[in-house]
Amino acid sequence: MNLTLLLLPSIIMFGVSFLKSDRAKYILAFSSFVILLPIVELFLLPKPYNILGNYLVADNLDTYVLFLSSIVGIGVTLSLLTLDKHVKVSPNAYRKFYRFFAIFWVGLIFSILSNHMGIYWIGLELATLSTVYMIKTNYTPAAHKEAWNYMIVGAIAVSLILFGIILMYASAKPILGESAMEFNLLLAHAKEIPSPFLFEIGFAIATIGMFVKMGFFPMNLWLANIERASFYPVAALFSGILESAVIIGFFRFSKIAMEVNYNHLFLFVFVYTILTIFIVSFLIYRAKDFMRLFSLSGIEHMALVVIFWVSGAPFAALLHFGAHAFLKPALFLATGVLESNGKYKIAGALRGYKGKKGTLFWFLISLFILAIISLPPSPMFFSELYGFGAMINRAKQGDHILSMLVAIFLLLTLLSIIFYRFVAIYQSMKYEGETQEKKVYTSELFALILFAISLMALLLPTSLTYLQSIA
Amino acid sequence: MVDFLIGLFLASLIVALFTTRLYRLLLWYSMNSLMLGLLALVIGDSLDDNAMILTGVMTILIKAIGIPYILKNLSQKFHFVRQITPKIKVQYAIMLVPAILVFTFYLSEPITHMMHTHANYVAISISALFLALLLMIEHRNVAPKIIGFLSMENALFLLGITATNGMPMLVELGIFFDLLMAIVVINLLFHKEELQV
Repeated sequence: MNLTLLLLPSIIMFGVSFLKSDRAKYILAFSSFVILLPIVELFLLPKPYNILGNYLVADNLDTYVLFLSSIVGIGVTLSLLTLDKHVKVSPNAYRKFYRFFAIFWVGLIFSILSNHMGIYWIGLELATLSTVYMIKTNYTPAAHKEAWNYMIVGAIAVSLILFGIILMYASAKPILGESAMEFNLLLAHAKEIPSPFLFEIGFAIATIGMFVKMGFFPMNLWLANIERASFYPVAALFSGILESAVIIGFFRFSKIAMEVNYNHLFLFVFVYTILTIFIVSFLIYRAKDFMRLFSLSGIEHMALVVIFWVSGAPFAALLHFGAHAFLKPALFLATGVLESNGKYKIAGALRGYKGKKGTLFWFLISLFILAIISLPPSPMFFSELYGFGAMINRAKQGDHILSMLVAIFLLLTLLSIIFYRFVAIYQSMKYEGETQEKKVYTSELFALILFAISLMALLLPTSLTYLQSIA
Repeated sequence: MVDFLIGLFLASLIVALFTTRLYRLLLWYSMNSLMLGLLALVIGDSLDDNAMILTGVMTILIKAIGIPYILKNLSQKFHFVRQITPKIKVQYAIMLVPAILVFTFYLSEPITHMMHTHANYVAISISALFLALLLMIEHRNVAPKIIGFLSMENALFLLGITATNGMPMLVELGIFFDLLMAIVVINLLFHKEELQV
């Protein structure tokens, strides 16, 4: 296994995106399937596996994240086949979308597999910059404005991450030299860092940068507005892939910060994420269109993943993260059909489907919507059970059981607001409004089936054992 | 020499905050990058660090000459508004800038205690970061916001040089590559598209 094999699908995609033939779009979609081959091979290799010296190292965690991202990538390319049936997109913009998708994928591979803080940042910046143009493929003034918005706020967020990385590097350089950039070495020598305060400051700044990129407090509406303005596959890429690249950085940085001072990390992240969920729950309550609703719900779920991770429940965090990575892109891709009779029509969105394809579509979407609010047997139901259990166990070990119970009660109250809103929206989609006929295409149905199968596979005993081995 | 250059680095950024003309802003960004490049050369020479010297040369070539030239061409090609009046009035900005400088020196005091070398330079690079953010905030037009983003990148570069005696060469090259990619994306964002469905 070498790096070329991992990058080959992106290179093919980039090259094919210059072809002007009508068949090119099928080759482009097929090239995304090729991404799976090296990743399946990665699963079979002994871990940790050095792909490029100590710079790119595959372990169980990043192989899992890369696998989730590749499934999302395949789903997105399948739905891209019928993008022009739902929205106005020029062939030129379509090809450019793929060109930047290829660059995005390269950035993503580097950031997910990196064992080096600098390379992680370079990959993330590359992925961020390439998504700017994907937003712009929707030729509307709103998308143009939001592309600039993303460029500027995204640049500030990644700059904060770099700022944090520099401080963390400075804190460990006296003992590790230039190797202070490597995650595994930093983790092994975390307790020997001569300036732990400097490291913690760096970690806090980098974390704020990562949280801003995921739409946490105070930038809760930033991502929702961008996803509203761009084409729906862009929102799916954001929620399923880009956020994976961001969260894996948080996982790696926080593992080191836990060794440096666990209590500081826990308090900082816990308060930050509860504040985020507090605001997001009320924003979800007021959401009036699918894109903003799903986008805000994505922020809520990523906040939960972060809480579970720092509460000492990595298994719950990874299960929740995996389920979210499949459910949210599926819902975002479905908005192409759900909103085909007007952007903001929630009422009646699940009516007007005919034939087997139509029936299967509304059935799958119903399941996805109910799964995203953690109704059993959704993997999110189990991850929340494990996660909240871990929070109580964590509190039992300290002297803060009462404050933890209050925090859990607050969280459950906020989640119930979100639950109520989603149920009301589902009822409105199914039982209110006029019935207008909507067309479902085979490729997008395939994408949804792929996500449904992947979601079920997540609950298989072998998958759960694999997740436990990472945790 | 380093003190002199770092003073000029900060001064060029402060002047950029008060500039009301786009080409002047590009000039001050270019001067800011030039000072940064010279700083890397001087510090790299004193540390006998060839990688930092190479980074300094690249900074001068790419940031002090290349990027301002490309941005000027873009501004002519896409007819940018050249009158860029900041939203914050001069009399307020003139109070805000020293306040930011004093605040960041106070803010970074616990960090600078831990630095073995160039302690004050770290504080200056953090204040440069805040000033670059102010540059982005105080303008409505896109072009000064881009300069703000690029100045922020300069501030981080300075932090990298001063706080860590230089980042690994691979990271520096990666940052340069990303910067060039950013310029390509900015160029594409300015293009007026035609819908051909």
